[in-house]
Amino acid sequence: MKRLQGLLPFGSLLVLFVALWIASPYFLTSTNLSSLIRQTAVINIMALGMTIIIISGGIDLSVGAILAMGGLLGTMAMEKGFPIPAGIAIGLLVGLGCGMLNGFLIARLKIAPFIVTLGTLGVFRGSTLLISNGLPVHQIPPAFSFLGEGNLLGVPFVLWVLVVCAAGMHFVLEHTRLGRYAFAIGSNSAAAVYAGIPVAGYTMAVYALGGVLTGLAGMIEASRLMTGQPTAGNGYELQAIAAVVIGGGSLHGGEGSVVGTLVGAFIMGLLSNGSDLLGISNYVQQVIIGAVIILAVSVDELRKRRA
Amino acid sequence: MLLELANVQKRYGGVTALRDGNLRVEPGQVHLLMGENGAGKSTLMKIVAGMVERDGGKMLWRGSEVFPHRPADSAALGIAMVHQECLLAPHLSVAENIFLGREPRSPFGFVSRRQAMARAKRIIEEHGFPLQADWIVGKLSPACKQLAEICRAVQNGSSLLIFDEPTSSLSNQETEQVFRIVRGLRDRGMAVIYITHRLEELRAIGDQVTVLRDGATVYQSPLTEISTDQLIAQMVGRPVSMTYFRPSLPTGQPILELENLSSSKVREISLCLRAGEIVGMAGLIGAGRTELCECIFGADPAQSGTIRIEGKGTEIRSPEDAVRAGVALVTEDRQRTGLALRLPIAANVTLANVASISTAGVLDLRLQNKVTNEYISKLRIRADAPEQLAGRLSGGNQQKVVIAKWLFRQARVFLFDEPTRGIDVGAKIEVFDLMSELAKAGAAILMVSSELPELLQMADRILVMRGGRITGELPRTTTQEEIMRLAALEKVA
Repeated sequence: MKRLQGLLPFGSLLVLFVALWIASPYFLTSTNLSSLIRQTAVINIMALGMTIIIISGGIDLSVGAILAMGGLLGTMAMEKGFPIPAGIAIGLLVGLGCGMLNGFLIARLKIAPFIVTLGTLGVFRGSTLLISNGLPVHQIPPAFSFLGEGNLLGVPFVLWVLVVCAAGMHFVLEHTRLGRYAFAIGSNSAAAVYAGIPVAGYTMAVYALGGVLTGLAGMIEASRLMTGQPTAGNGYELQAIAAVVIGGGSLHGGEGSVVGTLVGAFIMGLLSNGSDLLGISNYVQQVIIGAVIILAVSVDELRKRRA
Repeated sequence: MLLELANVQKRYGGVTALRDGNLRVEPGQVHLLMGENGAGKSTLMKIVAGMVERDGGKMLWRGSEVFPHRPADSAALGIAMVHQECLLAPHLSVAENIFLGREPRSPFGFVSRRQAMARAKRIIEEHGFPLQADWIVGKLSPACKQLAEICRAVQNGSSLLIFDEPTSSLSNQETEQVFRIVRGLRDRGMAVIYITHRLEELRAIGDQVTVLRDGATVYQSPLTEISTDQLIAQMVGRPVSMTYFRPSLPTGQPILELENLSSSKVREISLCLRAGEIVGMAGLIGAGRTELCECIFGADPAQSGTIRIEGKGTEIRSPEDAVRAGVALVTEDRQRTGLALRLPIAANVTLANVASISTAGVLDLRLQNKVTNEYISKLRIRADAPEQLAGRLSGGNQQKVVIAKWLFRQARVFLFDEPTRGIDVGAKIEVFDLMSELAKAGAAILMVSSELPELLQMADRILVMRGGRITGELPRTTTQEEIMRLAALEKVA
């Protein structure tokens, strides 16, 4: 019974999938499915980073801005003549740096993550606009589009990226010291300190890891649009948080999983894709997704209370 | 008969918390409700207070059957509960807390502060509490918070008051004060149900006693008809002696030496713990005992003085340093600082020593579960599996998990701060056994406790603290009176 309840989000995803299959002849076509995967990959990868942050009892509101900064600086480097891999690496390093700054402020200055990242959201977004003068970067080598739009072995390349990131994050959470400490800090940070865990260092590591994944998401976004947009990723932080929460993550920390987050992100992706196919307006979509977030979390709460 | 419960049942999901709860309470009596953790006392009282609904059985109030669905329903009947963990708003005044949710209204329907103050003052004066209506609750001592809770409970003319372990965080003096108040309430004809773990306080307060075991009422009688040892036997289900005897061991090398250690809260502490030794630490609440433990453990690092561990000078600036140096702290509040309640037992047992179950940062989960299973059987932790959440264990078993965590860390110095707080008699004995074994294996143990009989049974010698300083050392043959004299009295210069 307990097992079954744990599969509930997965079941809803399946039901949604089948319903859309029946409702729209265009749903189960390779074109639509690849575009669905490409659309959700960015949020999915950000949400993987958000998963470990939320498990550690934190939150990162600045990921949308980090995504823009990573994407912008990465593409700017390519514009300046850096090879594509170097550009991508720069995008990841920007994410890493931003994440480490967040982690540093949270762990060393002991300011609440919500406040720190609300502040850095402005700082990162503003700096990105300053650096770019508010203008997007367009002079990007055409081969860069492979990251976001290419195919490998018949499926979108981003799917492989996502699978590798998800497997990696799952391994980190369940099989490494970093993951174990993230759970411990999120479950009871005082007990973690009293167990002799270097909480500050691991908190920084958690945000840094989240930052790297966000930087990667930023490069994928840039590749899909073939522009470095300083305004990219606006509001993505809330979608990433929603994916984690729909997947059973708790904002109190100590709870969450990669599978849950993936399911959460795909549920949101399917809802928006399905609404598009069925001609449901964008306004209604927002209402539906909002309601689903509340529904998913209340079902999860009920389950926990009964267990 | 004021309140009668007959064959009351309650299940949470698949777990039966209560299968046959019986209780008969008369007005003008203090009724003790006893039982081990998990025996169903709290569930029974929550049913009476309207916090949970019963699944079966009868609840008669003044002879007629009632079904309280909400705390407000019970309050309307005249039943009030004083909670173990203070459910007060710390930023509000005593008066505001007393009337929280039932604020007196002015003629225009606004909340009337003046009326609330006046009525609160009247209640406080009526009972002679050392309390002011306009004091901010967050700044009160634990005892005064209890008094504010009591005011809140009695303000709307309750005829039954439930106390859930009111003295577990109070000093002896404050406990006396609570007793006086409870007796006062009884003498005014109120009925009091009183839950406690502290066996030595029974006789001072109780008239009737009801014992629960495994979700069922197993014993009811006037308190005068049963001896304390029989009472324990009823609670545990087998005869257990309340007195624990630990033979003194020959002591070995000094393990922990403190010299003139001072922090913001303790002054010039010097002491030496040797291998195989249990040193007791007595004192009143606020004497600085917990603060000393936190200072040694690096949670509140020393400002001056030296710490030597096994002869080596050791700098301890953080708990991280302390753990690395082999110091373990079993804290007073295990839920706050001892355990990650939402994580499995296995994660908690290995929390302080993840290094030894991992290579290059990758965990060996099979080894983790093997280790955890070993501790579960060695410490007789009542758990289904290493994956079970620590928060699902009873108090005593949680304490064993905390101890297992430090055993697995192979600590050499153990600081036990109130190791038996909130755990039942059976588990207490097991914790004592563990401590004795630790000493036998060559650990040095500092045992802070407010339960003087426990200190006298366990410790090889007893240090007494007052005002952040050590005021004396007594041999294990000392008496409670001698300890209290050092703990409470000003030194005659």
